[in-house]
Amino acid sequence: MHSDVLFAIVVATALAFDFTNGFHDTANVVATSISTRALSPRVAIGIASLLNFAGAFISLKVAATVAKGIVAAGSVTLPIVFAGLIGAITWNLVTWYFGLPSSSSHALIGGVVGAMLAAHGTGAIQGDGLLGKIVVPALVAPLLAFAVAGVAILVVYRLVGRLRPGFVTRGFRLGQVASGGLLALAHGTNDAQKTMGIITLALVAHGDLGAKSAHTPTWVVVVAATAIALGTYSGGWRIINTMGNRIIRMDSAQGFSAQGAGAAVILAASHVGYPLSTTHVISGGVMGAGAAKRLSAVRWGVAGNIVVAWLLTLPAAGATGAIVYGFTRIFGSGALGPVVISVLSLLLVGLLFARRAQTTATAAQARI
Amino acid sequence: MTAVGATVVDWGQLLKVVWTAAAAGVGVTLVFSLAVLGASRCFEHQRSNQPLGAFAFGLLALAGLGVCGAAIVAGIIVLAQK
Repeated sequence: MHSDVLFAIVVATALAFDFTNGFHDTANVVATSISTRALSPRVAIGIASLLNFAGAFISLKVAATVAKGIVAAGSVTLPIVFAGLIGAITWNLVTWYFGLPSSSSHALIGGVVGAMLAAHGTGAIQGDGLLGKIVVPALVAPLLAFAVAGVAILVVYRLVGRLRPGFVTRGFRLGQVASGGLLALAHGTNDAQKTMGIITLALVAHGDLGAKSAHTPTWVVVVAATAIALGTYSGGWRIINTMGNRIIRMDSAQGFSAQGAGAAVILAASHVGYPLSTTHVISGGVMGAGAAKRLSAVRWGVAGNIVVAWLLTLPAAGATGAIVYGFTRIFGSGALGPVVISVLSLLLVGLLFARRAQTTATAAQARI
Repeated sequence: MTAVGATVVDWGQLLKVVWTAAAAGVGVTLVFSLAVLGASRCFEHQRSNQPLGAFAFGLLALAGLGVCGAAIVAGIIVLAQK
């Protein structure tokens, strides 16, 4: 009975994380299309939601990596999964509050690894998997997207630089509808799978699946796809503004190059099962498309803040996951600890949103 | 250190991601730019009553769009192969 309640809380928390993932990462998918006026905000977010939903059904390789390749699946317990998720949600909300596009994927992995370390020590962490499948690809991916977008935009300017600007702008805006769509599909494929992997881990911990033969059930795919699509539809406007306007002021050709490079990197990585951060990839692409035109076009101060947030993500989410796990243990191994944490978390989230709304209202009054 | 890196990281797989992403990202952008170039020149030739030039550039635009569409479909198919 306790185990069933705990399992239900963990699945609900995983879906809440998936929602914040869509909400937080909407910016990756739509910001460039909105800032270059390729699509209106509502249409861009609507298309992104639908394609995120569809993308979640395309492949399960990333889910398998999350479920099997990073921590010892047999040692995972429901309180560990819960603590990891709370660590990830906390980091997502903190970075959303400051308008910083950080990685939901790394927050999730950091949270679970931190809780696992608190519970079992280093023995339960698959260091090889963490380094080979997460850390090294995480370092390579944004640099790759930066380089690909940079080369791509130079090719574009070389070919169409002397044509009438109006026609070129309209052409690349049309192209952005396709590249943004592909990006949304790639995002759904890559990111929804992380939640699927986490729920699969919870099913293993609950005894519904074997640790060695864990496969992702269809209902998990459906609920994860729905949660990320709903989160995407809700939209995170603060991060959309950072991604679309504050890193560089981009034209439609730059937007197309950044989105194309991002989609190419994410699709290639998903194919081999690397759970990449779409945020890192798209930010890299946006910076590359800006820097190739003119180095000073990139607001390096904003870019620096984003990189600092990236570097802090794994340790901060890990520390939160470890602390939450320690706190839940005070209440024993049953459902009470996660229930208390869930209630406290909901109260804190409510306060955070109220404070945000108050700040926005004050700023609006000051403008009047 | 190098030996650890070699065993922990599947460099072959990572390299495959790098070249696939580079080829797809730059390739599709190049082809789409050719399509925009073709369409723009096609309209210019039409306006100046040069049907042969308009036809040739129109063909370039259509071919470019076709290749981009095919690349997107191919990408989704490759991704779906588990």
